[in-house]
Amino acid sequence: MNRRKSLGLVALGATAALAVAACGSSPSTAKTTSAFDEAITKVVNPSNAKTNGTLVFDAAVTPDSTDYDNTYYAFMWDFVRLYSMPLMTYKSCPGTCGEQLVPDLATGPGVVSDNGLEWTYHIQPDVKFQNGVTVTSEDVKYGIERTFAKNILPNGPTYYQVLLAPQNATCAASMASGGNTGCYPGPYVDPSVNEMGLNAITTPNSTTIVFHLAHPFSDFNYVVAIPQSTPVLPSWDTGAHGGANFQLDPISTGPYEFQSYTLNKQLVLVRNPNWNPATDPQAKQLVNKIIVNWNMNQNTVDQDQIAGYADMDIQGLGVQTAAKDKILTTPSLKADADDAINGFLRFAYINEQVIPNVHCREAIEYAANKVTLQDAYGGSIIGGQIATTVMPPNILGYKSFDLYNAVSDPTGDIAAAKQQLSLCGKPNGFTTGLAYRSDRPQDVLAAQALEAALNQVGIKTVLSGYPTGTYYSNYAGVPAYVHSHDLGISMGGWGADWPDGYGFLDELSNGNSIAPAGNTNISEINDPTINSLFAEAANDNNAASRLAIWPQIDKDIMAQAAILPIVYQKVLLYRNPNVTNVYMDDYYGMYNYAVLGLK
Amino acid sequence: MITFIIRRLLATVILLIIVSALTFAIFFLLPRLAGETPYDLAARYVGRNPIPSQIRAMETRLGLSAPVPVQFGRFLKAIVAGETYTNGTSKVYCPAPCLGYSWRNEQPVWPLLVSNIPVTASLAIGAAVIWLIGGVAIGVVSALKRGSLFDRVSMSTALAGVSLPIFFTGQIALLLFSYHWQIFNVTYVGITQNPLEWAKNLILPWIVLAFLYSALYARLTRAGMLETMNEDYIRTARAKGLPERTVIFKHGLRAALTPILTIFGMDLGLLFGGAILTELTFSLHGLGLFTIEAIDNSDLPEIMGVVLLASFFIIIANMVVDILYAVIDPRVRL
Repeated sequence: MNRRKSLGLVALGATAALAVAACGSSPSTAKTTSAFDEAITKVVNPSNAKTNGTLVFDAAVTPDSTDYDNTYYAFMWDFVRLYSMPLMTYKSCPGTCGEQLVPDLATGPGVVSDNGLEWTYHIQPDVKFQNGVTVTSEDVKYGIERTFAKNILPNGPTYYQVLLAPQNATCAASMASGGNTGCYPGPYVDPSVNEMGLNAITTPNSTTIVFHLAHPFSDFNYVVAIPQSTPVLPSWDTGAHGGANFQLDPISTGPYEFQSYTLNKQLVLVRNPNWNPATDPQAKQLVNKIIVNWNMNQNTVDQDQIAGYADMDIQGLGVQTAAKDKILTTPSLKADADDAINGFLRFAYINEQVIPNVHCREAIEYAANKVTLQDAYGGSIIGGQIATTVMPPNILGYKSFDLYNAVSDPTGDIAAAKQQLSLCGKPNGFTTGLAYRSDRPQDVLAAQALEAALNQVGIKTVLSGYPTGTYYSNYAGVPAYVHSHDLGISMGGWGADWPDGYGFLDELSNGNSIAPAGNTNISEINDPTINSLFAEAANDNNAASRLAIWPQIDKDIMAQAAILPIVYQKVLLYRNPNVTNVYMDDYYGMYNYAVLGLK
Repeated sequence: MITFIIRRLLATVILLIIVSALTFAIFFLLPRLAGETPYDLAARYVGRNPIPSQIRAMETRLGLSAPVPVQFGRFLKAIVAGETYTNGTSKVYCPAPCLGYSWRNEQPVWPLLVSNIPVTASLAIGAAVIWLIGGVAIGVVSALKRGSLFDRVSMSTALAGVSLPIFFTGQIALLLFSYHWQIFNVTYVGITQNPLEWAKNLILPWIVLAFLYSALYARLTRAGMLETMNEDYIRTARAKGLPERTVIFKHGLRAALTPILTIFGMDLGLLFGGAILTELTFSLHGLGLFTIEAIDNSDLPEIMGVVLLASFFIIIANMVVDILYAVIDPRVRL
């Protein structure tokens, strides 16, 4: 009896402690003057004032690499702008304005030859590395050559390997069958660094660089806006500090440079004395020091921001449930937060080979309960907005349409679904497999929600969970496996490498993208109209007419009911009121890190 | 005694080889048995949307095509004789005991492991001091004042301490002391850098970790003391007219402490291998967080390294306990 009483006291104490903590104020943060969602469309605290302050980022993860040639994480592409200058970049301004390509190291966009195979860029003659050496076009070429050393730097994108003209005929023949015999092996294997090198890139003089492509590719300016076109001084990439260790101190052309980096623990950046703001207008050098604390507890990351110990969560995926509730219920905190669409789509692939009848696929589109699916991903604030198209609203070329009444009838249009099933010749429904990633709780919930909704119209699903690590390489991404296991539906998520229809739609819906393993066109869309629209876009160097192509492809995919869009992902981002120049950058889907300062 | 120690050391080496073989089999052999090819395995260590040649390059670099026993042989050889790796621009010699080369971080595993030890050791030792002194003292007083208010309150608190997980007590402690009252800031500062800051910044994790253990130790000590104090020899000691203090500390506590010593050795050894939950809750970059990172990244050499190091600490702690036992009780050496 006595023990029970004492335990009751302990429990009461703990509850009281929680209550006190929940009401905790944040004394170290300044009074705010901004409003909820303000940074989605406006610059919050605009300022060009330089301070001696230190900007602190927290991260619940570790980067794939701090080497700009070896990273594929969205937040790292945003962050490396602080110490790199690629040929092209995105304009530093809020909202969709930030999706405009502008020259960075280059003096202007690439000039393409008439046959669409040669792209020429001229670089600014007076940009310097952190050690004072002037950047030349050879340095840009060397940086790209490094990305071919895939055994040492395995993480980055492979656009150059795929788009550039093969090194020789042997390489061309080998590439056709998925090999790379005779292809350029990267500067660490090639003994003639920068003498022979990669012959698909030429440097007629120290400020000109020419890319020779295998096929016309009108979006090439987007490719060179990826951090991999950052110049690298070959003499910096040598010895114990080169190759894989380059990540510990990558040479900077941006406003900051590495002072120290304890791998995966803490990174400290300081001002780069040889950076000239006139040559790099898209970035700012306002604070004295930038610190990133890696590999923290996500709860600590959230609490650190609210308490003012940290200025920003570098990952840009927003706060978790506990902090979300606190922010949304505390007006002063809510005024410093933004609930924004980040350009990522949650959806389900509907395989056209396994479910060949379009009406059966349409039945799935109609029957899906978009509200329970939205809840599975976290609800309307940190889950996302109900999606009706493949392209999210912040992708260039997005046009709003709703073929399956997802917005007008979000819990599912049962009557329409049944009608489609009749047209499909299966009025009582059918059975199909549903693949999902069993180690991702949101995927599991979404698969269950979809199962329940489809069950209402007689579509029975057999749920099959797979590990994330091999989901695309061994299961959902292997068409032969999908067919033999009758996986008509597979859960998926998608974000683009660049914000136009090509970046978003090509891998999902171009017939050429269907691969025997690691397939991303899991619906196996191989439609002549869609394929020809992609081909037309690749050869069309007129941005405006290209922009008109993307919504057509989006509509075609939806008309075929090959993709069931679920939500345009949303994130609840918190900004410390002390931080200046804060705004959502639609390209990165998070705040723009290149321009931040402190009050 | 020397033969005993040599015997135990040899057993330690054999045990470590068994542990490493088992760990290696789990991560390298089982996937193969489940039908995963070296190519599939390599595909996990490249970026998004890889091209086939990129995966094959990683397969070659990580040496995944070789038969699993050959890979294990290479692993053991590196531990004994060291190994040379390339980082692209230069050869990196990894001297013995070389626990391999991280597949994600592209660094030799051993220095990465070693760099995490000071944090974990600081956390474990500090907490151990608190829980040993606190737990044993509370246990003794509770046993001697059995049924008193102190006994009841402390044992109920102990029950709470044993039952509440660290990620709960840790979060509460952080919310109150770090975020609400802003008294403690939990960031690791090296002891050589600033001993005062080192201690101040670690107080919160020490107390939270010690709360769990001291609760356990208080209950164990109390039970041990109660049992011992009822022994015949205690009655004899009292009958001899020995002062109560001598009876309690020399005859009672000494006997009750022997099993506590065994558990203490095990617990400390285990914590040295990484106090995973405490380090995660307080974002302390020790072996525990390193382990989580290694598992998140499927970084097999790092996982192998951390398993071996943790086993090493546990085995060594056990050996030390055994030696201490052997000193106390010669029958153990037989």
